[in-house]
Amino acid sequence: MMLKRFFSKGSLLALAFMFILVAALVGCSSDSGGSSSDGGSSNSGGSSSEGSSSGGDGEWAGQTVKVQLIGDFSMEDSTDPITGVKTPGLHVLKEEFESQHPGATVEFIIMPWEGYTEKTQAMLTSKEADVYQMPGIADFAAQGLLEPLQPYIDADDEFSLDIFIDNQVDGWKALPPESSELDIFGLPFLGDARFITYDKQLFDEWGVEYLSEYPTMEEITEKAQKMTGTNPVTGEQNYGIWFRGDWSSAFTLINAAEGLGGKWGTGFAWDEIEFQFNSPEMLQGLNWLLDMQELAPEGIVSNQGSEKWLTKDNNIAIMLNQGPGDLVEQTYAQGLEDRIAIAQEFKDDSGKGGLFAGSPITIAKDSENKDLAWEWLKFATSDFAQKYVYETGAMPAVKSAAEWDNVKEVSELMNPVFEAMSTPYTPRYPWGSAQPRFILTSEIEAALTGERSAEEALQKAQKESTEWLENR
Amino acid sequence: MAKNSVEINASSNPSTDTSIGFETMRQKKRKSQLTWYVFLLPSFLGILLFMVYPIVESFRLSFFQSNGTIENFIGLANFKLVLTSATFWNSVWNTFFIGIFQILITIPLGFIFASLINSTPRGQNFFKVVYFLPNVTSIVAAAMIFQFVLHPEMGIVNFALEAVGLPSPGWFSDPSTSKWGVIFLAVWHWIGFVIIICLANLQAISPEMYEAAKIDGASGIQQWFFITIPNMAGTFAFLLITGWIGALQRFNEVYVLGGPNGSPARSIQTMGAFIYERGFTGFEFGVASAATYIMFIIILIFTFINLKVSKMKL
Repeated sequence: MMLKRFFSKGSLLALAFMFILVAALVGCSSDSGGSSSDGGSSNSGGSSSEGSSSGGDGEWAGQTVKVQLIGDFSMEDSTDPITGVKTPGLHVLKEEFESQHPGATVEFIIMPWEGYTEKTQAMLTSKEADVYQMPGIADFAAQGLLEPLQPYIDADDEFSLDIFIDNQVDGWKALPPESSELDIFGLPFLGDARFITYDKQLFDEWGVEYLSEYPTMEEITEKAQKMTGTNPVTGEQNYGIWFRGDWSSAFTLINAAEGLGGKWGTGFAWDEIEFQFNSPEMLQGLNWLLDMQELAPEGIVSNQGSEKWLTKDNNIAIMLNQGPGDLVEQTYAQGLEDRIAIAQEFKDDSGKGGLFAGSPITIAKDSENKDLAWEWLKFATSDFAQKYVYETGAMPAVKSAAEWDNVKEVSELMNPVFEAMSTPYTPRYPWGSAQPRFILTSEIEAALTGERSAEEALQKAQKESTEWLENR
Repeated sequence: MAKNSVEINASSNPSTDTSIGFETMRQKKRKSQLTWYVFLLPSFLGILLFMVYPIVESFRLSFFQSNGTIENFIGLANFKLVLTSATFWNSVWNTFFIGIFQILITIPLGFIFASLINSTPRGQNFFKVVYFLPNVTSIVAAAMIFQFVLHPEMGIVNFALEAVGLPSPGWFSDPSTSKWGVIFLAVWHWIGFVIIICLANLQAISPEMYEAAKIDGASGIQQWFFITIPNMAGTFAFLLITGWIGALQRFNEVYVLGGPNGSPARSIQTMGAFIYERGFTGFEFGVASAATYIMFIIILIFTFINLKVSKMKL
């Protein structure tokens, strides 16, 4: 009776509908596990999984390496909306790697920069990929989620760390769990750097000498002061300087302190870290930023006022704490190659200074194909893949890049970028994506907006950051 | 006797028929209910998986020091940390400040606009569309546009203020005005919804009441005060409660405008942004979970007060 009731027309219809729904959902989802899907499908927004099969026999037959990438990567070729430059899709890397490793398959999992840290954590927990692009390497290495790479490097005669731009390997070193010795868990994949950019045309119009290669704070102050006001040639309002007073202001301040011989603090593991946010150098640096604010347009604490930068109507002479990002491409796309120039950030006595940034690639501890994953790491740092990285608008991390034809064409901008990549402060700031960064940023904002004096703001930042460390 | 027997049998037949009929109805009802439960199953599973489980898991996490993989039980330490955190109470203040002024401005203003639209003989639909458009705009896109509208140097609002000789504030670049920037955005975005809801109620008020008032010599303003407004009480209560809950959960627009730490100087960091900052930028899931439950209790208390104040029956 129950069975009869259960299998009545209505119930059956409902069940059938559910099965169709489930089948449709499964059918519409992307294939991330198998080796039979086509690599050319589209990437829709947030994250996507792309797979394909090279199939066949070979040394690596049946093995798949899943590679997570962050940012503007895409399987298909695309065209940059601003520059009009065509960018090849990831299929280029896939085809080359699979041809070099017969039988192997590469699957890409692409995610946006937005919330990449928590997504990476979730992926590591669920063993979603073998290789990860991982700017937050220190947090994950400390959790024991990453494979140490030194044994692979030692065992591989074909591979050498000398291929990387100086300081890049050291910068990505991290602490394993319950150890106080930094180890290699990632190889540099995407390069990045911080530097000072300036508009030579405004310097010419004001009759001011260009910035030196390694300018001091006094030099910046003097020249920015001269170029704030009504431009003697165009009659437009010009500003001597601009910097972000919000999101990245902590790094701008730390770099100013480094230029004065100070530093953010000491230690790398959380239980060893001691902040020096209220040091005399930090205070002097923040007071300098307050002075510089007077020479900047309104809105630096809300990332406003620099809307004309990298356009022909630019009204700002010097930009602090800039990254390569789209700088090179956009400069050339806007026809500003004769105007935009780069100077280095402030350096300490050892010649180092500024934020170390970029992305390394790592192997997950739980990866079941570690040998193939290591092969991918070598491939991703080879000239072939690094040239691809450069063509997509990112910065390569290898020394040989300086000799590439398409880099030589823009060497005036690229050479200072490479120089900046080889002289950042290392080991990098371990608190760079943790709560102390937000505490310090908020207090710099408070000082820049007159909520607190520079001294009070730094004392508060020091106190709150230290308390945060104690409560961790 | 035989007759009686027949009568008994005859009389018993209908009763048997009724019982069979009754059972059939019950069976049909059960069958029908079963079918609907089958239809409800996917949604129910979804609720279990995406609502009940995270709520329970978040409660568990609030007693742990957790970065997502490594966990240590620390009892009520997270709650203590949040409740003694000046940053958290600053975010509570920001949330309430923005929420209260958004509601205080939008509901009366929306009601006035709705009354004006309702009294317009022509073009009602046009005005409804025009005022409702902001509400269908993505708040993220709207927030980005408002950054330009309220730009301290290039913004159209400051241009207009300067044109009439008024001082031009820094808006999002000044902690003393940034909250007002968010309030303007929130009012602009929500007012269309308020107008539509008020209009629906206005059109449901019996015209006979207005006719009777006119015969008694009531002026337009008197009709508005003594007929329209009292008849809108239920709608105002609904808007107050839904608006208040939405205001306490505010996150998207402040995240776009000021990032997770509510720049400048945490002046627009709401409770939602505080939770995001600690949970998803600092990996302090225990702290974020504790803050979420404290926020839940705050919303619960104020919704209860709102229900009492507005005398709304659920």
